[in-house]
Amino acid sequence: MSRYAMVIDLQRCVGCGSCSIACRNENNVPDGIYWSNKITETVGTFPNVRHHYIPTLCNHCEYAPCVRGCPTKAMHKLDNGITMHDPKKCIGCKYCEFNCPYGVIYFNWKEPHQFWKSNKVLLKGGTSSPQEEVEKIGAKKTPYFNPERGATLPASRPKGVVEKCTFCDHRVRKGLLPRCVEACPANARIFGDIKAPDSDVTKLLGKFRPFRLREQLGTNPHVFYVRDFNPAQYRPTKGGV
Amino acid sequence: MSEKKGLYGIWLVVLGILILLGLYTALKLFIEGHGLFNTNDVILWSLPLGVYIFLALTSSGLTLLAGVPLVLKVKKYEPFAKRLVFLSIATLMGAFVAIGLELGSVQHMFWVFFSPNLSSPIWWLALIYSVELVVLIVKFWRMHKGDWHSSFSNTLGVISFLLAMIAPLMIGSIFGITESRVTYFGPMMSIYSLVLGLLSGTALFLLYSMIFHRVTGDGDVERQTSLYNEFTVIFAYIASIAVVFSLVKFAIESATTVPEFLIYHKFEHAFGAWQGFHFEVLLGLFLPFLLLLIPSVRRSVGGKTVTSGLILVGTLMMHMEILLAGQSHPVGPKAEQYPEFISYFPSIWEWLVFVFALAVMLLLYTLGERYLKLMEVPQ
Ligand code: SF4
Ligand code: SF4
Repeated sequence: MSRYAMVIDLQRCVGCGSCSIACRNENNVPDGIYWSNKITETVGTFPNVRHHYIPTLCNHCEYAPCVRGCPTKAMHKLDNGITMHDPKKCIGCKYCEFNCPYGVIYFNWKEPHQFWKSNKVLLKGGTSSPQEEVEKIGAKKTPYFNPERGATLPASRPKGVVEKCTFCDHRVRKGLLPRCVEACPANARIFGDIKAPDSDVTKLLGKFRPFRLREQLGTNPHVFYVRDFNPAQYRPTKGGV
Repeated sequence: MSEKKGLYGIWLVVLGILILLGLYTALKLFIEGHGLFNTNDVILWSLPLGVYIFLALTSSGLTLLAGVPLVLKVKKYEPFAKRLVFLSIATLMGAFVAIGLELGSVQHMFWVFFSPNLSSPIWWLALIYSVELVVLIVKFWRMHKGDWHSSFSNTLGVISFLLAMIAPLMIGSIFGITESRVTYFGPMMSIYSLVLGLLSGTALFLLYSMIFHRVTGDGDVERQTSLYNEFTVIFAYIASIAVVFSLVKFAIESATTVPEFLIYHKFEHAFGAWQGFHFEVLLGLFLPFLLLLIPSVRRSVGGKTVTSGLILVGTLMMHMEILLAGQSHPVGPKAEQYPEFISYFPSIWEWLVFVFALAVMLLLYTLGERYLKLMEVPQ
């Protein structure tokens, strides 16, 4: 059985956010919820400052605290290493969200996609309401609704349960790449089987010195980061810049 | 006499109104969801969960106290036993109301049992408290029928006592095993929960008894004076353990350089602080503890009422402070959406959940006192 993992090459990543937009469309992610997200950091003091960008998603940890603590096994591991969620079993206790050290689980506090149910128009007689827009396109719930997400998870999750990234399990099982990997214009995301010695993931991990987020917690995350986007140079001198 | 009857009627009407309001809140929550709470993806657990923890632990504390006459066979405390068991049941019912509304559906509460995860402290907690409730009800029924010490009744007492000891440890471990939130103090949280449970259970019993005797004027408080005085000494001992724990907690908090604690220190505490000491600890634990060291305070009805009242409110606030402090800053990428530190004040719906849980508890206390002869002792 494969064990899926992702490598994110920070030298290639340009911080465009295409992964997040693609993820949102693919998985019908509601407003306020981020399956694909980022950590940004500004270091230094002006004028010597630099911006760092780390794309984030569920790390599909081997020893996942979210899975360990879930009282109903709604959060569970698949044989291929994906941390999966079953909203039918989820009682909405939010313990997984509380337990996840990476802040990648979100709760549906309200009925999702409410914006698209609204019949308010911006300009009377001028613009259409969100509801009209959805109807005219003949879409379900949102204009960009993707019914294929529904293959392994309710295409849109109800209120009162949590949700998070599934490594696009519905695509992966068809031999496709996760949507964020496909959408990345800089090819900064590499996805594959970490157990296969000739997979791109395995090769990359042997080529660089990868790091993972909060490794010291012992969760064994399966999203690895390699290199760093930093074209800065400085003249080599003895003891100075 | 008729004046008392009138007041009793008014009291029942007030509780009835509060329960109707609670039912309306439940309906509203089930339909609209938890967007009605002032929570978000950083502050996930709020007042309803704090109330659940407080009431559940208090119920465990009451059961442990009931174990003194019922399990450890200290006979002189038998006059308190039936009332302790009953208060424990009623308090646990209040806790169930709070957790039911926190989960947003009663069906969620039951679903826990159909797909168990044995590595989850929440699963164990749900199981333990459900079994505890059933065992306590059966035990109470046996006592009510005059069967205090048959082997069946004794077994029930022992089981409930053991469950009451394990449950607070489980509540503590929900927080303690969370690797991502160091402010929860690891394994210490379990022992801390047990101590706070015993403390609030003792406080509730003392406060309840003082108010009950004052309101009904049945003179029992005079008859049992020495017993209540001894009980207050036990109360002071338990408070002293809580004081030690709070001091250790304060020492760790102020000495550590772990970033999460440092962030936490940059901001105000939930209920304010003086020289790093939280007000709820100063006023809700240290002050009553000092008062309890004075013999005349310990012996007077007023002293018992004030100290137990302060500690009861203080423990609830301490639970809330701990709950909120561990969630006050966003984890990982959530810092992109949320500020560095999140403040929280309960919404009206969260207050109503609190009121609902209290009203159910108080109604049960009232009816129990009226119809179930709670001061009965075995023949
Ligand atoms: S990143 Fe969080 S949600 Fe994903 S597997 Fe790890 S603990 Fe669970
Ligand atoms: S919120 Fe749902 S998935 Fe998360 S721990 Fe609770 S039951 Fe499990």
